[in-house]
Amino acid sequence: MNLDDLTRNSGEWLRGTGPESDIVMCSRIRLARNLADFPFSNRASRGEKAEIETNFKSCLTSAGLDLTYFDVNSMSPLDRQFLVERQLVSRELANGEGARGVAIGPQENISVMVNEEDHLRIQVMLSGLSLHEVWDRINRLDDQLEEYLAYAYSAQLGYLTACPTNVGTGIRVGVMLHLPALVQTKQIDKVFRALQKINLAVRGLYGEGTQAFGDFYQISNQQTLGKSELELIRILTDVVPQVIQYERTARQVLMNERRQHLHDQVSRAYGVLKTAHTISSEETMLLLSSVRMGINLGLIDDLEIATVNELFIQTQPAYLQKIQGTELGVEERNVARASYLRSRLSNGRHVEPE
Amino acid sequence: MTCQHCQDEATVHLTETVDGQRRELHLCVACAREAGVALPESTPSLALDAVIQSLIVSNVGELVGELASLTCPDCGLKFMEFRARGRLGCPHDYRVFARGLLPLISRTHGATRHVGKVARRRPAESERLRLRTQLRDAIAREDYELAARLRDQLRPKDADA
Repeated sequence: MNLDDLTRNSGEWLRGTGPESDIVMCSRIRLARNLADFPFSNRASRGEKAEIETNFKSCLTSAGLDLTYFDVNSMSPLDRQFLVERQLVSRELANGEGARGVAIGPQENISVMVNEEDHLRIQVMLSGLSLHEVWDRINRLDDQLEEYLAYAYSAQLGYLTACPTNVGTGIRVGVMLHLPALVQTKQIDKVFRALQKINLAVRGLYGEGTQAFGDFYQISNQQTLGKSELELIRILTDVVPQVIQYERTARQVLMNERRQHLHDQVSRAYGVLKTAHTISSEETMLLLSSVRMGINLGLIDDLEIATVNELFIQTQPAYLQKIQGTELGVEERNVARASYLRSRLSNGRHVEPE
Repeated sequence: MTCQHCQDEATVHLTETVDGQRRELHLCVACAREAGVALPESTPSLALDAVIQSLIVSNVGELVGELASLTCPDCGLKFMEFRARGRLGCPHDYRVFARGLLPLISRTHGATRHVGKVARRRPAESERLRLRTQLRDAIAREDYELAARLRDQLRPKDADA
């Protein structure tokens, strides 16, 4: 597998299947792990970082894991950005320095970042609300890696991490939700305040510090110590269905009270995406969000939800430049984006991108 | 708006209600003082440094003392550097800085004891981490004989693989 293979496929987590997938885009869990024999990444020398990477790569081989390792250090900035867009690496890893990389599973639902803030950041994602299945998978993967790697661990504090906010289980349990009706009915802040009160974090699609984008919000735990992995997962599986219910109620209110207005908004959004000749990333996200809700409410019936999910990722700058095979400025990207959207949304008629 | 007594800019605005009669008063500072209106003191000295220092002390213990000068022998990180940057330098820091870290961990997580998955191998303090520090020091001192010996000790043993 190489990066070009990735451009031809899309992640399993965009498939739009699994429980509650009209609202839950995907469930994801990450584990922070460090090797006992090395300083944390921020304090490791070049040589030590290279050794950490070598240890990890030989562990992949010994454990016989079906993961492909990508050396992020030697990658072009465009390729790094491409991996960020696909949620396979963090911005921090992309912008880091020294030996670092990511091992990716065949369906893009597994990624293990090497030499991020922690030596290893293991991540598993699945579409829909399926945290228990995600946990089973990541727990197994963690066990397999641990056969060959000695983790930094203390009996009192659990898995030791570079930042004490992750110590203990090292786990972040997250669910990515599409909440356009709560945004439109201005209920979203209320929901956030309630979540913050029970110590859950709300972030945008691209994690810490990023703006919510396309009405996607990621809800995750903040506490990592003093509760077991399953207890932390349970908090999310208790709370998320309530948020889903709020969103459904808000959608119903919009349907009952403002049906015509909503239908108009959705159809216009779809129309612009199908016909525009230049379009910014922001406008695309906004319109795709309306279209996605429109499909779920039965207002659009000739478009697959998976296509819309993919378009959120595939209309971003690095992907557009990868498929064009060249670097593009903002204006050129807006044209390429519109052309790509037209070709993907042409109701089955294949349109050659110009 | 101009002062009702002189032509200066009015910066004091009062509304009085006497026997159900509303009366508005707009004065400049000088006329307001003359009229006997009690004005708040000009910006009091905030003594910010002292405030911050006392906040730090109440939040992380007497940083000025022992804790502030604490340095991890294995990675060389000072506790103060951790406070400034928020990242620890190596796994041993959790033991070395325990006094400063535990209150902070307790505030963040509401707990100080791990519950959940247990690592299968539970290495005590890593000897190799310590050797690596000695190696780095030896290289810095240009003591290549020692460095070579340490490197041999660090070479992965087959039993480990």
